[in-house]
Amino acid sequence: MKRTTSQNIALYAGVVAVCAFLLFPIYWLVVTALATSAELSQLPPTFWPESPQWETFTKVWAERPIPLWLLNSTLAALGSVALSMFVSVLAGYSLSRFSVRGGHSLGLFILTAKMLPATLLVIPLFSIFRSVGLIGSLWSLVIAHSTLIIPFTTWMMKGYFDTIPRELEQAAMVDGCSPLSAMVRVILPIATPGLAATALYAFVLSWADYAYARTFLTNEQGSWTANLGITTMKGEYVTDWNEIAAAAVFIAVPIIVIYLFLERYLVGGLTAGAEK
Amino acid sequence: MRRGKLIDLARPSRQHWLGYILLAPAVILVAAIIVYPLIISIDLSFQDVKLPRMGAPRKPFTLENYQKLFSSPEFWQTCWVTLKLVVVVTIACLAVGLGTALLVNNRFRGRRLARLAVALPWAVPEVIATVIFAWIFDSSFGLMGWIFIKLGLANQMVAWFSDTTAAFWVVATTMVWKGYPFVSIMTLAGLQSIPEDFYNAAKVDGANAFQRLRWITIPSLMPVLGVTMVLVTLWVFRDFSIIKVLTDGGPLKATQTLSIMTYNEAFGFFKFGYASAVGVITLLLCVVASMAMLGRGSKAMY
Repeated sequence: MKRTTSQNIALYAGVVAVCAFLLFPIYWLVVTALATSAELSQLPPTFWPESPQWETFTKVWAERPIPLWLLNSTLAALGSVALSMFVSVLAGYSLSRFSVRGGHSLGLFILTAKMLPATLLVIPLFSIFRSVGLIGSLWSLVIAHSTLIIPFTTWMMKGYFDTIPRELEQAAMVDGCSPLSAMVRVILPIATPGLAATALYAFVLSWADYAYARTFLTNEQGSWTANLGITTMKGEYVTDWNEIAAAAVFIAVPIIVIYLFLERYLVGGLTAGAEK
Repeated sequence: MRRGKLIDLARPSRQHWLGYILLAPAVILVAAIIVYPLIISIDLSFQDVKLPRMGAPRKPFTLENYQKLFSSPEFWQTCWVTLKLVVVVTIACLAVGLGTALLVNNRFRGRRLARLAVALPWAVPEVIATVIFAWIFDSSFGLMGWIFIKLGLANQMVAWFSDTTAAFWVVATTMVWKGYPFVSIMTLAGLQSIPEDFYNAAKVDGANAFQRLRWITIPSLMPVLGVTMVLVTLWVFRDFSIIKVLTDGGPLKATQTLSIMTYNEAFGFFKFGYASAVGVITLLLCVVASMAMLGRGSKAMY
């Protein structure tokens, strides 16, 4: 059906207005980072900084341990993603291809684990980590984040494997592959896009964590993750909103970039296990 | 025949040692880092412990934590706050998410960009979203206070975080902004699966745009919206970082949800037994709520 010109204009106006309204907080973050301290302590607020203070970014990067926090967040994410992906790829393949006794119930249990409140699990994990001396170490986050990630990634990987026809393995096995090498040589290469999307999604989950980092990393600033670090910048004595905003931009950018890559795969991740 | 040596992965019964071996690492890991801690916390909830040491002898079994919990007004107030927040945020997320999805689902140039933009807050980490809204609602130079003055809704800057009602709405606003893109993404995916023929047939029969929305789009989306609603509810129920950073449950516990209460009892007051009891109740409520919402269709989750 063709729309009339006025309907078209109304549609565009609607889309632009809604996007502008909903994305305004992100715009406001950037404006705040670029404003001078004087502009941030006056009313009316500055909607368009006269002289953008790009040096706020370099200043925050140099004077605060932002690079270190970002590195810690990245290391914790890489560790937990590697650990979770290793077990979920294998389990997802097994759940998709073999009817192992108890496999189905295990799958359901893993799915139910998504309902676990992090604030409940953080209590026993804290006791365990304290007795084995992991408090303050990034390893505690690798383990804790895996509890968040595995329920998602196992079902995402099962979903991807389900979309790959079984005939491929059979052909490989007829040609003399063992079941294991059929999986490693034939199926995993085909599943690589799905694997990458799942890993990126897992990375986002780990990067977003605050509860575990706050509980396990209380000791020294150098061991903090980005999310934990930035909350300590709020209200130390006087809150420098432009510096916080600049730090926030550094922390948000990696995830926004991942989102732009991941968008078309997102639904798979968000609904993993939700529909069958 | 050599077939007997192959395992036929297409056959209904495909039990094989490889299936077990592939599952083993996940079983061991999940047992160690999810099941075992879960058992510990359930066990802790039946003991009078402050700050437990692993390996210390177990305290005697007691129901005291639960008795104290159910007779404490704070717990019931917290349940009420949690319920209010869940209802308000879930409804608002569904409304905004559905609206934005229907809007960018129209065919127009730049649609792909609009779809990316409309769900962009999904990609902003919760803590960062919280920082942004803490600044927008700053009581000295925040944007929202200025807007309220301009609109004549307030005479002076509003101290959002010292008023119980205002603080609740600030928390709700932040959560809606962070939560609606999930609904948009899910709805957009659901919209893709509605056959174009439905709409064409309806148009032939003379249905107008509103009737098509009411009788085709909404009913077709119902299964997706149902699952989405459960997932949003669970998220609000359990969310920690937004409230912790924004208000820490204050003022006067007006924004304290069960998650925040669990955490603060454990790591603010070091009452691990009591906190575990709150956490166990939270988990039970999550399970019951999602089963109730999905009803007989609860299989749909799986």
